[in-house]
Amino acid sequence: MTSRKTLAASTALVSLAFAGAAAAETMKIGITQNNVGVDSYQTTYEKAFIAAAEANDSVETVVLDAGGDVARQIAQMEDLIQQEVDAIIIWPTNGEAVIPAVRKAFQADIPVIVTNSNIAEAGFDFVKSFSGPDNITQGARSAEIMCDKFKEMGIETEAQVVHITGQPGYTTAIERAKGFEDRLPEVCPEVSVVDTQPGDWNREKSQKVMEAFLVKYDDIDGVYAGDDNMGVGALNAAKAADRDGIIFVGATNFAVGYEAMERGEYWGSIYQSPVDDAEAALQTAIDVLNGEEVPFLNYFDTPKITQDNMGDYTKPVF
Amino acid sequence: MSGVNKAQIGGFLARQGILVAFVVFMVGFTLANQRFLDPDNIMGVMRSSAILGVMALGVTFVVISGNLDLSVGSMMSFSTIVVLDLHDKLGPALAIPAMFAMTLCLGAFIGFLVGYLKLNSLIVTLGMLSAIHGLTLTYSGGQNMDIADKEGTWFSVFGQGEALGIPVPILIFVGLAALLGVTLGKTPFGRKVYAVGGNGTAATFSGIRRARVVFICYLMSSFCVATAGLIQASRSLGSQNTVGQGLELEVLAAIILGGASLLGGSGTIFKTVIGVLILGFIQNGLLLVGLQFYVQYVVTWVIIILAVWLDIAAKRGKLWSPIA
Repeated sequence: MTSRKTLAASTALVSLAFAGAAAAETMKIGITQNNVGVDSYQTTYEKAFIAAAEANDSVETVVLDAGGDVARQIAQMEDLIQQEVDAIIIWPTNGEAVIPAVRKAFQADIPVIVTNSNIAEAGFDFVKSFSGPDNITQGARSAEIMCDKFKEMGIETEAQVVHITGQPGYTTAIERAKGFEDRLPEVCPEVSVVDTQPGDWNREKSQKVMEAFLVKYDDIDGVYAGDDNMGVGALNAAKAADRDGIIFVGATNFAVGYEAMERGEYWGSIYQSPVDDAEAALQTAIDVLNGEEVPFLNYFDTPKITQDNMGDYTKPVF
Repeated sequence: MSGVNKAQIGGFLARQGILVAFVVFMVGFTLANQRFLDPDNIMGVMRSSAILGVMALGVTFVVISGNLDLSVGSMMSFSTIVVLDLHDKLGPALAIPAMFAMTLCLGAFIGFLVGYLKLNSLIVTLGMLSAIHGLTLTYSGGQNMDIADKEGTWFSVFGQGEALGIPVPILIFVGLAALLGVTLGKTPFGRKVYAVGGNGTAATFSGIRRARVVFICYLMSSFCVATAGLIQASRSLGSQNTVGQGLELEVLAAIILGGASLLGGSGTIFKTVIGVLILGFIQNGLLLVGLQFYVQYVVTWVIIILAVWLDIAAKRGKLWSPIA
């Protein structure tokens, strides 16, 4: 075989390969979500994800929901591996328990993208990228929002704060709490966090917790809640007990939080759009499949929102 | 004389062991934090216990009649979401009866399956637990439900209002407890409920229409759930789809804590109320004591076991017995 013939043959092969790639250009991306319907954030996320996938002709999706059940999510991971999807996006129901299933996908050479809340560090080796909010930064920003307000009021030397966290054991809850508790002493060293209890992402539970706090402490200047849903629950408790002048700061700005800010009852939050979250996850998966360089921690920006700058943001739809 | 007193005290203890446990805990928590007995705190705990309590009243009937109801948690989410949604569409005056009608339909359906078709109540209501959750999600599209005009509606009276200085949820709870307590303890229907739960076959042979009694128990349970949903909706004027999630087990815990048997035939409304209050005050007391919350789960369980033990110990007159 002459070298020219070899060249021709290999060119043909390469072009064949390209043609093959073009035919298989539709990427099949599977997603297993945490618990659609448990809150509006996740519902809006799913809608946005489906809309973004439909708008993109080169993407075909398999959309699943674990209903908050770890066992079901593991089964769904196995289904997606069986179906030989090109990539799997997972919104972990539990950061630890899903690791074996993620490892299985890794062993089957299917890239896994974690969305919204990360899996535990032990599983990082099996994951291509994490796409989602930086919850530690969010907690830190909430601390800054609260501290700035205390300084404006001139009570940064004496203020007392209570802290209502999300579901114990849930990564987002742990990270936000850590971000807040680490950052607050840096910016406002004399402010003390007098109590911390979980509100389980639940407005009613948070209201109960806040009622107990109000009985226990005569002087509460600030409340930090892991999300606005719980923040508004705490606000309801304070209103019912006629305790004014408390600075409420949350995270994940919900419509109820935004409205309470409009009424001047709730000071600030972190603006986190489920639409951005869903689109970022899908884009990360597409980038990974296209062989692009994707940072391991692929955060989308979640800015501060307070009564002062809320005009720059539209009211959340959830 | 003193012997009579001792016998009387012994008899009282045997009957009301759970009440003794309740008093013991109240004293314990008060010693740990004086504010525990603060009238505001007592009112607050009773107000938030009212939701669980109202549900437990209805389920008490179901349990005494020898059945279970695991669907009440998701049914409560359903009523809460429905009444909040209809509030803005129809106005509160129509939304409330419409919600009650829809919730009673669910109760009637369960009552039909368990009462007339004689299906196992555990399976039926376990299935309904998730079926109603699905129904709620379908209804709401998974969205949180919020009343648009929160300041300008009288709807908030059921959860946030006060009469004679007492929060309305407590009044509803106490009123309903009195009504249902009399129904269970003093009426022919109440005796039929005990009879059906104690020995269903014997009850049937003595001419009691067992299916109808069971059916009515479920209907009452769903009525109580609708009332609880109303209080819940009115208290926060907005809700997630999962607001009642897990309450079915808390309700059962309160009822059993009160001393009702899961096998049916025993229990009273008064004891259920005590069970509900114990659960409410434990949660609140631990918050006030300020235990770290991972520890609270364990301590809650320890206190519940302790309460059950005190109850049994009072019944048999000593703390420990080699025979049951």
